[in-house]
Amino acid sequence: MLRRLLPSAFLLALLASGCKKENIDLPTPLPTSTPLLRISHMVDGQPLSQDTLAYTNEAGTPYSVTRLEYYLSELVLLGTGNTANDTLHGPWYVNADGTMDFGLNRLHTGTYSGATLLLGLPPALNTTGALPNTMANLNMAWPDPMGGGYHFIKFEGHFISAGTSSGYAMHIGTDTFLPHCTLPEAFNITSTGGKLLLTFNLNEVFRTPNTYDLATGNYSMGNMGLMTQLQENCADAFTIAYQP
Amino acid sequence: MKGYALSGLLIAALLASSCKQDTVDSPAVVPPSATPLDLSAPWYFPQMDVPANNPTTVEGVQLGRRLYYDPILSTNGPMAGLSCSSCHAQELGFTVPNSPAGFHNVLPHVNLGWSSNFLWDGQVQGTLEDIMRFEVEEFFAVDVDVLQQHPEYPQRFKNALGNATITQDAVGKALAQWFRSMISSNSRFDQYVRYETTLTPSETNGMLLYLTETGDCFHCHGMPLLSDNGFHNIGLDSVFTGNDQGRFLVTGDPADLGAFKAPTLRNIALTGPYMHDGRFATLEEVIEHYNSGVKHSASLDPIMTKPGKETGLNLTPQQKADLVAFLHTFTDPVFLADTALASPF
Repeated sequence: MLRRLLPSAFLLALLASGCKKENIDLPTPLPTSTPLLRISHMVDGQPLSQDTLAYTNEAGTPYSVTRLEYYLSELVLLGTGNTANDTLHGPWYVNADGTMDFGLNRLHTGTYSGATLLLGLPPALNTTGALPNTMANLNMAWPDPMGGGYHFIKFEGHFISAGTSSGYAMHIGTDTFLPHCTLPEAFNITSTGGKLLLTFNLNEVFRTPNTYDLATGNYSMGNMGLMTQLQENCADAFTIAYQP
Repeated sequence: MKGYALSGLLIAALLASSCKQDTVDSPAVVPPSATPLDLSAPWYFPQMDVPANNPTTVEGVQLGRRLYYDPILSTNGPMAGLSCSSCHAQELGFTVPNSPAGFHNVLPHVNLGWSSNFLWDGQVQGTLEDIMRFEVEEFFAVDVDVLQQHPEYPQRFKNALGNATITQDAVGKALAQWFRSMISSNSRFDQYVRYETTLTPSETNGMLLYLTETGDCFHCHGMPLLSDNGFHNIGLDSVFTGNDQGRFLVTGDPADLGAFKAPTLRNIALTGPYMHDGRFATLEEVIEHYNSGVKHSASLDPIMTKPGKETGLNLTPQQKADLVAFLHTFTDPVFLADTALASPF
């Protein structure tokens, strides 16, 4: 029954969006827009451009990015005193090659002292089959013989070491290595619409507290030492801001 | 694999209804003469996206089936006298061992309802309607006047799609419906996932190789479709010319040199020869490539660059045999003998 109703629902959605477009030309104010979570990727101030050896990491290694896929979840907006004021659960699957805007159910106006975030999935969702069987989720599966659940991140590309090009694949998975990120930037949400802006600085993955050297750590999946380094380095890889 | 447990089944079932993502090209209109067809696949398969302007019906699938097996699609040009089935034999997983001169190795027609990248180099991306439009207009150059003069086809198009006037778009839509029905989900591996059978010790060992870093097949050939629908340079060559340039010929991106679509491994034991150019005759040769024959290049997929395994996996003879044994569990005898997928003529 639901399947038969869906086309009608989509038609209504289409008509609704069509109405919004027509209203753009009218002088009356637009209704409050849907709040968005917008993800962007930077490399120490440079916007990410994939497939080019344009970046240099903390170890001084030139590298490119050919694949960047990951989950974000449990975005906690902190009020005064760093107490949780609002939690946006997600999860959000991010592919740097695709859409990086996600609709949010709500935003509460107020002053926030920062946020916390999981780069990956909470344990309750990190079990095989817990997420809908979309192609993206299936391709992020972390095989059961290796612990099950999902890749938290796939960060791949090429790098130059001793004059030779090679590949790297930094994958993180399993609950033990889930990166907990802290975003200390204070921000004000001034309307229930607007955008929460999350910026992922990829070079932070290679620095503090560990200088991650691709020449000695180009493949992390199944390597607990490397996944631990990446988990720790990712803790400060995101920043947050609000844009009305 | 035991992680595909009952809890996963229940969650998947609960979520399934909310995962249907019919695109909104236009309202779904099923002609009064057509019967909606609900294509079924096991719970661990993805939800299949069906464009709202081409809902699947019994009559549409049957029309597509006839067109697939009928050489009427190619009355002119180099393909004259051939049907789709001329190069896609059901008993061989809808492929054939010998591709026409000048063409890539023939890819199998199976589970393409979940694909969005088509052909070895992804020359066509989008829906089955998009690739079928390409096949109708460019590959076969279908003469719709011939179909229009046929004693049966106009009525069949009217019954299936609501209009007796045959267009290339309508031919593509009928074929797309047929392709969505070509579902393989009853291999021994599927039965194992569903707890309907067990695997031999060798097959189990092969599965563990497949699903761990030792063999690392899962990154590009993950469950259950056995393809990630992506493009990869797997180190077949270090210098790329002609068709061996692969995805690069479509994108112009040097990072795509030598990259080809990861084909599904369903019925892989029957669909040789292997690779885009059919360079490997047997599964053993394929495994040996991954084991010792990987060639370096600047666009080699990063997954292929594990420390200490730069030229291959270094598997033992027993491990290679186990991996081949596991690949054989992807053969789906139900699919290969399904009379609903056979020629209607």
